[in-house]
Amino acid sequence: MASVHESLYFNPMMTNGVVHANVFGIKDWVTPYKISVLALLYDMTASKITLPERRRLNKLILPLQQGPDLTLGQFLKTVEECCPQTAYAVKLRLHEMADGELKDMEYFFSTLPTPFSAFDSEAYKTSVVGLFMRHMLLAYNKLSFSQVYKLYKSLQHYYHSHYAKPTDGQVSLPVLVADDSDMDLTSTEDTVGDRIDREELDTPLHESELRNDNTPSRGPLSQKQAEYFLARQAYLLKNDENKALKPAALQEELNNMLKFNPDFAEAHYLNYLNSMRVQDIFLSAHSLLHYFDRLILSGSEGKSNGDEGYGRSLRYAALNLASLHCRFGHYQQADLALQEAIRIAQESNDHVCLQHCLSWLYTLEQMKGSDSTVLTEDSVKMAAHFCLPYLASLGIQSLVQQGATQGKTAHKLMDALKDTDILHWKHSLSELIEISLAQTTSIWRMFGKSTMALQQAQLLLNMSSLEPVNFGVQQNNTEAFSVALCHLAELHAEQGLYCAVSEILQHLKEQFPPHSHHAKLWMLCDLKIQFERHMNEGKYHLAEPLVTAISALNKTEGLYRKAQVLKALNRSTEAYSILQRLQVHCEKTKRTEVVIRVMLSTAELHWESSGFSTALPLLLQALALARQHHLQSLASETILHLAFTQLMLGVPEHALSVLHEAIEPVLAHGSLMDKGRALLLTARCQMAVAGFRPNGQARADLHLVVLAVDTLNEAAAYFSKLNCKERLRDVHYLQAQLHRSLGQTSQCNKSAMLFRLLDQELQSPAPPVSMRL
Amino acid sequence: MKMAALCSEFGDLVQIKKQLISVISLCKERGLLHSAKWASELAFALDPLPKNELPPSPPFTEEDAQDLDALTLAKSYFDLKEYDRAAYFLKGCCSQKAYFLYMYSRYLSGEKKKDDETVDSLGPLEKGQVRNEALRELRVELSKKHTAGELDGFTLYLYGVVLRKLDLLKEAVEVFVEAIHTLPLHWGAWLELSNLVTNIEMLKSLSLPDCWIKDFFMAHMYTELQMIKEALQKYQNLIEAGFSKSTYIISQIAVAYHNIRDIDQALALFNELREQDPYRIDNMDTFSNLLYVKSMKPELSYLAHNLVEIDKYRVETCCVIGNYYSLRSQHEKAALYFQRALKLNPRCLGAWTLMGHEYMEMKNTSAAIQAYRHAIEVNKRDYRAWYGLGQTYEILKMPFYCLYYYRKAHQLRPNDSRMLVALGESYEKLSQQLEAKKCYWRAYSVGDVEKMALLKLAKLHEQLNESDDAAQCYMLYIQDIFSCGEQLEHAEVSTALRYLGQYYFKNKLYDEASLCAQRCCDYNDAREEGKALLRQISQVRDQIETPSADLFAPLSNNNTPVRRVSPLNLISFTP
Repeated sequence: MASVHESLYFNPMMTNGVVHANVFGIKDWVTPYKISVLALLYDMTASKITLPERRRLNKLILPLQQGPDLTLGQFLKTVEECCPQTAYAVKLRLHEMADGELKDMEYFFSTLPTPFSAFDSEAYKTSVVGLFMRHMLLAYNKLSFSQVYKLYKSLQHYYHSHYAKPTDGQVSLPVLVADDSDMDLTSTEDTVGDRIDREELDTPLHESELRNDNTPSRGPLSQKQAEYFLARQAYLLKNDENKALKPAALQEELNNMLKFNPDFAEAHYLNYLNSMRVQDIFLSAHSLLHYFDRLILSGSEGKSNGDEGYGRSLRYAALNLASLHCRFGHYQQADLALQEAIRIAQESNDHVCLQHCLSWLYTLEQMKGSDSTVLTEDSVKMAAHFCLPYLASLGIQSLVQQGATQGKTAHKLMDALKDTDILHWKHSLSELIEISLAQTTSIWRMFGKSTMALQQAQLLLNMSSLEPVNFGVQQNNTEAFSVALCHLAELHAEQGLYCAVSEILQHLKEQFPPHSHHAKLWMLCDLKIQFERHMNEGKYHLAEPLVTAISALNKTEGLYRKAQVLKALNRSTEAYSILQRLQVHCEKTKRTEVVIRVMLSTAELHWESSGFSTALPLLLQALALARQHHLQSLASETILHLAFTQLMLGVPEHALSVLHEAIEPVLAHGSLMDKGRALLLTARCQMAVAGFRPNGQARADLHLVVLAVDTLNEAAAYFSKLNCKERLRDVHYLQAQLHRSLGQTSQCNKSAMLFRLLDQELQSPAPPVSMRL
Repeated sequence: MKMAALCSEFGDLVQIKKQLISVISLCKERGLLHSAKWASELAFALDPLPKNELPPSPPFTEEDAQDLDALTLAKSYFDLKEYDRAAYFLKGCCSQKAYFLYMYSRYLSGEKKKDDETVDSLGPLEKGQVRNEALRELRVELSKKHTAGELDGFTLYLYGVVLRKLDLLKEAVEVFVEAIHTLPLHWGAWLELSNLVTNIEMLKSLSLPDCWIKDFFMAHMYTELQMIKEALQKYQNLIEAGFSKSTYIISQIAVAYHNIRDIDQALALFNELREQDPYRIDNMDTFSNLLYVKSMKPELSYLAHNLVEIDKYRVETCCVIGNYYSLRSQHEKAALYFQRALKLNPRCLGAWTLMGHEYMEMKNTSAAIQAYRHAIEVNKRDYRAWYGLGQTYEILKMPFYCLYYYRKAHQLRPNDSRMLVALGESYEKLSQQLEAKKCYWRAYSVGDVEKMALLKLAKLHEQLNESDDAAQCYMLYIQDIFSCGEQLEHAEVSTALRYLGQYYFKNKLYDEASLCAQRCCDYNDAREEGKALLRQISQVRDQIETPSADLFAPLSNNNTPVRRVSPLNLISFTP
């Protein structure tokens, strides 16, 4: 090879690249920052400081010693806040060294109180300070001549860069605005050099050149800085993605870090997490495997192939690969990887790993849509046996979820959740506490107890973060929160509080931007709310386009909504065929809620063709299902349907008695729409029981008629809140008739006028009042 | 000079020789030793010139005369590796030659310091941070001169090197191309350019000067880009044009043959090379790889000892010794020597991969993974390291995990059957028979090196009870084995014959079945079965013949299988 530099490699004595700098096995290295800390310690012992100041400084020592390297400006600022006098002394001392000569630094180290001589001072050899000083002295003494010189040079750099341009360093720090007491990612030393360069360079630069000039200015991070950076970003990615760096910026940081320190395996893992964020399968797989390749190296030093050795990381490597494929929806690949992980875990008798595998297995089965109750139960039992509370309660939560869909009774589910909650609080598994609360919310809603659901959601949202280390994060931004907020939005929408709903959704949009992992939840929720609203207001043409969007997020839901729209547009045949298909599909996948709703819609279709008696068995079946699964809101709705059918079949007395059963839960927990409909139906039943005829031929029971007027008034209030004009029109029509029969002409006229106004506004011909619930 | 170089006729070897001689002296004056070496080697391969034909020394300008003393002094310092001192005395000189040497000394001084720094840096904070401090200044000065158009071919080359070192690759390519246009005979610039060309499209898009040296470059590039057929064609043309004695070309051809695993050809060429140039160390690691593959212990031992005598502190020597120990199954020592090679040059790719192989042999999987990962870090396109990683995980019984690595390797060498077979095996272990079948078939189609793909495919078909396909594959396998001539150790012809015999027997093709059975008897492990089959066949034939006196003809016709393989094929493959 003729490239110029290679000639240097042929020097046989050269050992570059392979011999690492860490020949002495020292973990601590003297850095300019450490010298500043030493100077601070020195001045603290030397000078007289008042007691409160000393106390504040003492509190500062540990974080300064153990924290990442700060810039001089940050360091002095922190010290100044505690004791301006000492800060000045430290600055002076550093100035002496930096503006003096090498011997000044050497002198400083020689005058440091040796921990072995000072018996009564804080710097005694076993104290925290003493230990630190000993470390530093040892590290300093082991430096070779040229290293000492380099250290001095970097100290000068460190000192002067603070004064040369105290602001620049802060400006070029766009990434960690969250808390600026943090570390400085961009080391200022290099930027100085760069600026000079750029001034010299008056030749026009290409864009790529500029970019390349900028990147090295970032400079390397120290080990601790890097670790802190990684830990922080990883934590944020898990708990609050918004506060973490943007994917591209984070990628750049990581590339930079890896360029200077390719052995930093954790950076690869963060890279994997980051790529998962942007759904990049190639990069994430690549980073994950790279991480484990690296990890296997570092783990191999101690025991090999045993419980702690690299055999362990092999198992977890396979498991992680499975989870990666699982997340990207490659179930077959995930299955294969999981089998592999299970096999090697079995071979090496690693029960903990096997447990993890098992819990992934049932998750995978669940995602594939098959029943995994048995697996989950096994997993819970085994996890409890091996004392893995996290996995155990995760399993229970999963069981609860399955149980809820399969119609387990509420008290059993709640008991299970309560038991796990005890476990969570005992082990402070904050993440699971959040999930548990969100799950309770969902379960209450499913059972139709909106107040309880509301309360649980509020409980979760008002809880502050329980993480032991939180990086200034008040609250986590996990899936649990997203679920709770969505429930909250839907609950508000049910009560017609659309203003609040839009506020909640706005918050969700900010917290979970559209590209993020849990954004689909609120998107679906938003669409559903809009859909319901349009349907209630009778704007079917607005609801129709939403169906496509809904089916993109959730196929079953989309299909159901499509049927609803078609039904509303009187395209009954199409609606019927869709509903049939949906029912078969949902019965297969055991989605009882949807099945019941489909049955109700089918019954409504039967009504339209006046097939009230054919609707009856369907409704009874739905009622049985709803009761069996304890779905109260659906049960009440079914009863409403039943009552309506009975009314239509001419047995209003029965209908009224059936209604009495449902009216209470509807009024307590139901949505505005349900309440309105229930009251309207009651009024009509009352009218029918009273023997009321529109043309007023027969004598009606006046008492009941008055009652019906009241009920209608109430219903009208609900409908007007929802802006549900079609039903309001019906109400006014009935009201007018009732008033007429009661001889209240003015009220009758008023109602009639309201009816007329609405009728004109709606334009569409009113369907016969009798035909709908 | 420039005009002369642009003549691309090989016919005028005398002209080429003249150019070479002049460029040798130019390079030497500037301390560009490797380029001078390359040119000299090439010049040596051509016939000597008569005295009156020797090229005149380049014109001596006023500036040169002025700088002569300083230049001579600086050059002697430069030769003694006192770069700073050389640069100091060259400051202020205005001739082109002096200016190049001045810049070059500064660059080398920076590089040397960088390497020294690495040894005693200030802890992990600085690890990887060490860089050539001179580069930035050099770039600033050179880019000024560059825009002013004051750079000659050599300084352009240096500018390119500086840019490459600063990772400004796009600019570097432009500058190298410019350097080549100004001074086409400087091989160093071509080589630097070749390191930056990553694919054939990029190569095609470059505008290169039309000079005879371009053919050398293209041949080199084709070898680098694994387009071996084109490379060999180019080198053949060069030999025919009159460079037949050039050791450089011989070694390049040998390397090319090595890359396509044409071992015998490569070995012959290397032996020829060693006869012509017995003290040569370059490329000897490749030679040792070949000897290793062929398990030629004595030859490898001789080579190793010979090289140690010449220079034991060379990367190539260490690699050869490593291979030698590896062949003797002394893997610890082998690893040690590969480590030594890496100490001499940490960017030596082959040594990392070879060390990985050694660790694999020692069953130290984690160290092997480390070595392979390092190799990948040096060069992401190193398919052997990816393949090695895959193998490591396969040994750790993680067939799914290793798929990723094999896929990577396959991606880099789409036509290498070994990766495909490895992929197929992994799929088979994961019971993904469909994918496995595809892999094996593809491996066979791209030319199976180890002749294993068909056998595996056949067995897979056998497992899946696809007897027609299995028979077809066994048939092809037998053809394949016999057509390649030599006996392979793992050959399982007997298995194939046994299966075919049974297959024909089941399909009532008794003639073919008996032929296979007879062939079976040639192999020890299948002899008994062959005989048994023969007996069965004769029994059945007897049964048929007794009642078939009247319905003789239609029976055999009815039973012809749909996908019948002609039994006559077999006869022509008798070894």
